[in-house]
Amino acid sequence: MNAHLQRALRSPALAFVGLALVWELCVHAFAPSPRYLPALSAIAQDAWSVWPQLARGFGRTLLETVLGFAMGAVFGCLCGTVFTYSRWMERSVFPLFVVSQTVPVVAFGALIVIWFGNSLLAKVMTAFFLTFFPVTVNTLRGLKSCDPQRIALMRSFGANRFVMFFKLAVPSALPQIMVGLRVAIGLSLIGSVVGEWFGETVGLGVMLMEAMNADLVVRLWVVMFACGLMGALLYGLLTFVERRLVWWRSES
Amino acid sequence: MKFMPHEVTPPAATDAAPPMLELVNVWKRFGDAQAQTVAVSGVNLRIAKSEFVTLVGPSGCGKSTLFNMIAGLLPPDDDGSLLFGGAPQRDGQLLGKVSFMPQRDLLFPWRTVLDNAILALEVEGVPRKEARERARAMLPEFGLAGFADHHPHQLSGGMRQRVALMRTFLFERDLMLLDEPFGALDALTRTRMQHWLLELWARHRRTVLFITHDIDEAILLGDRVLVMTARPGTIKSETVIDLPRPRDPSVVLTPEFIGLKQRLLAEIEEESQKTFAQEGTAS
Repeated sequence: MNAHLQRALRSPALAFVGLALVWELCVHAFAPSPRYLPALSAIAQDAWSVWPQLARGFGRTLLETVLGFAMGAVFGCLCGTVFTYSRWMERSVFPLFVVSQTVPVVAFGALIVIWFGNSLLAKVMTAFFLTFFPVTVNTLRGLKSCDPQRIALMRSFGANRFVMFFKLAVPSALPQIMVGLRVAIGLSLIGSVVGEWFGETVGLGVMLMEAMNADLVVRLWVVMFACGLMGALLYGLLTFVERRLVWWRSES
Repeated sequence: MKFMPHEVTPPAATDAAPPMLELVNVWKRFGDAQAQTVAVSGVNLRIAKSEFVTLVGPSGCGKSTLFNMIAGLLPPDDDGSLLFGGAPQRDGQLLGKVSFMPQRDLLFPWRTVLDNAILALEVEGVPRKEARERARAMLPEFGLAGFADHHPHQLSGGMRQRVALMRTFLFERDLMLLDEPFGALDALTRTRMQHWLLELWARHRRTVLFITHDIDEAILLGDRVLVMTARPGTIKSETVIDLPRPRDPSVVLTPEFIGLKQRLLAEIEEESQKTFAQEGTAS
């Protein structure tokens, strides 16, 4: 019983519940204008009233985020691999990647709408634009940091480059690649929300804009919570996959 | 006239089988002409089949460079040659011919004990199932029975070293190169591992070249002890160890053993001082 209590005290759930309680207490005690701090119950009520739109928006933004992330992850891993094994490509193309990241995604947004129209693909592309870079950098770093003594050992067994890559380089790089993916998933969500600002009818980004324009402060809070929930879900899922895939991390 | 039969046979007959490994005037220099470091100079060495040869020398004497050349990881300079089974070896030709065990165990943390042991077999293209069966049968001999599915981080230093040794053993090559395999172990574990290695060697009779900086270890294990000089490394002397086999732990207390040790210690000490003096002038 005591152990259960201790575990409950240490879990983050308690902190969330505590924060919610403090929030409600403050609202009741100081009665601030809802413009500055609406009651949690009011936010929940508002969420309930727009439930169908919210659910649809959540689904749509989730789809954009996941697709953009997946594309960025695949492209980033491929580029990281190419840059690792081709010094020439690393020296000529990689700087281009770095420069591309200095352009703020907002500046890039209008162009994407011109290129891809008001489509799902346009939002996926903004998400992609933000995600591929951290994955590329971390894949490159992970593959390059492969232990030279282990490489020598594999060579002494007569391993060719192909065997070396799949049996040694990729598993060695996985922890670092996962770091890149975790950064990328958060960025992907930002990319898809921002992408929606440039023209769309469904999505959390759209709801955020609408709430801002109509001065619906409580609605803003609803959308913020929805975005936070999505980010936490995706991050949690990725952490779960990481624990399964690279559990040896703690070693070396 | 009366001829003795052995005078009729050509003298080459006794040398018909070439040594397993032969190094003729092997050099390794690093850097360009202005700032050249000679790591290994004029090494001549012959190792016969089934022989256990140990190599001692002060640290930084080029032992590891020599080893990397024999493993095929590093090409020797052009003025010498390296023969394996009588055939000269060019760049990288030795890769995959010698089972090589570096100082660190280098186990892959994501692989189980069994899968670490079969790494070389997998590289060779042996089907995983068959390789695992072969490895499983060897586990008890390496003191790893019941640990097949453990991961490296769950093992003690001695066990990790045995897994690495098993990986080297499963890569069945005529020549085994062991680079200070017990260097990182505590004294008690090391003694146990040495005797275990001797038993293993007595059963399988693989040719072994074993690097160490521990003179007791070199004498205890070897048929011959080679002493390397301070950088530039070369073979300074060769001592045949005629202690009877099997050697049990108490052999280190015999006068013969102590006599050998005294002589070798004096040689190594001389070399260590040279290294020390070199470092003194360099700084």
